[in-house]
Amino acid sequence: MSFDPEMVAAFVDGELDDLTARRIERAAETDAALAAEIVRHRALRAQLAEHYAPICDEPVPERLRSLLADGPKLDTSLADRRAARRSRFSTLHWGAIAASLVLGLTIGLRPWIPAGDVQTDNGALIAAGSLARALETQLASNQSAGAAVRIGVSFEDKAGRYCRSFESPGLDGIGCREGDHWRLERTLAGEGGSGDYRQASSGELAAAAAAMMRRDALDARGERAARDAGWMSRP
Amino acid sequence: MRFEEELVELLPRLRRFARGLARDASDADDLCQAAIERALKSRDQWQQGTRLDSWMYRITRNLWIDERRAAGRRGVHSPIDDAVTQVAGDGAAEVEAGALRGDVGGAMARLPDEQREIVMLILVEGYAYREAAEILDVPIGTVTSRLARGRETLMFYLGEAA
Repeated sequence: MSFDPEMVAAFVDGELDDLTARRIERAAETDAALAAEIVRHRALRAQLAEHYAPICDEPVPERLRSLLADGPKLDTSLADRRAARRSRFSTLHWGAIAASLVLGLTIGLRPWIPAGDVQTDNGALIAAGSLARALETQLASNQSAGAAVRIGVSFEDKAGRYCRSFESPGLDGIGCREGDHWRLERTLAGEGGSGDYRQASSGELAAAAAAMMRRDALDARGERAARDAGWMSRP
Repeated sequence: MRFEEELVELLPRLRRFARGLARDASDADDLCQAAIERALKSRDQWQQGTRLDSWMYRITRNLWIDERRAAGRRGVHSPIDDAVTQVAGDGAAEVEAGALRGDVGGAMARLPDEQREIVMLILVEGYAYREAAEILDVPIGTVTSRLARGRETLMFYLGEAA
C-alpha cells in the first residue's frame, strides 16, 4: 500500500484535495489492501453514525426546550409582571375559569409533582428541594433565564403570611410561608409549556393570587426586604 | 432567525454530542442545560455571522472539561479510561475486545476523553479537521494524531468489518 494510514483516514474523512483523492481512488481499484483499509474506515464511520443517530430523533426534553421558549423570561420587572397579570386576568379570565373547571384546582397529591420538590406534612403539601430553595431565596426581579423555578408575584395574604406564585417544569402554584416551610396553597400541573393550557395555568394562578392578596403585590424592594428578613410575617 | 430559535434547532445534535462526551443520558442533558444557560448569559460574545453550532459545541465541551477536572480534583476516578493503556498486546484485552464486538458505546467508553471528543466531532458530527481544531482550540496536528489513536482503539474493539 503506497499511502500512509493517516492519508487513507483523511481520504475517508473527505479531507484530501481533489487531486490526491482521485489518486487514492484509482489506486484502490488495483490495490486490494488499500481498498480493504478504506472499507474498514467507512465501516467504522457508519457504525458510529448508526449508534448515535437515534439520539437526534429523541424528543428534546422539556427542561431544555423551555430554556429557549418564547415569551418574557428574563428580569421582567415586577411592574411588568403585574401589568401582565392584570391584562391576563381580563383577557384570559373566562378561559382560565373554564380551564380550571376542567382541571380541578384543589390541594392534594398529584402524580405529576416531581417527588423531590414536594413533601406532605399532616396532609398539607410542603415545598422541598429546589422548589423550597427558590421560594426562599430567588427574587422575581433578578432570576436567570435558566432558572428551573420561576417566581411570579410575591404578596401578603389576608392571614398576613408571605406568599409567592411560581412556575416550574413539573408544578405551578402558590406557596405561603408558615413557620419555617412553604406550604403549597395552590397547585397546578406545570410543564405543559404550550398553548392554551399554559395560558390558562398562568391566568389561573394570577387570579388565585389576586384573590388571596391583602394589599398590592410586593414590588422589587419589598420582595428583597421580605426575603432578607426571612419571610417573617408582620403582625 | 432569532438566537433562541437557532439554538432550539441545534438541540438534537447538541444532545448527541453531549451524550458522546458524558455517556450517561441524564448527565448529558445536564451538560446541555448548563451549555444553554451559559450561551444565553454570554450571547453577546457570539459574533453574528459566525457559526452558532461551533460556538455551542465549544461551550459544551469546555463545560464538560471543567466538570471532569473538578471531578478529578474531588478524587472521582474513571477506571475505564485507564483501560485504554492496556490495549496493545494484552491477552485479556483481546478477550474483552471480542466481548465488545458491536458495542459502540462500550468501545467509546474506553477512549480517553481527549480522543473521544475528537471522534465525536469528526466521525459523528461530521466536522472538518480544521473546524474541530477550532472548537477544541488545539493545533490541527493534535487533532489528526488523537483521531488516529482513537480510531485504532475503536477498530480494535469493534472488529475489522462492522
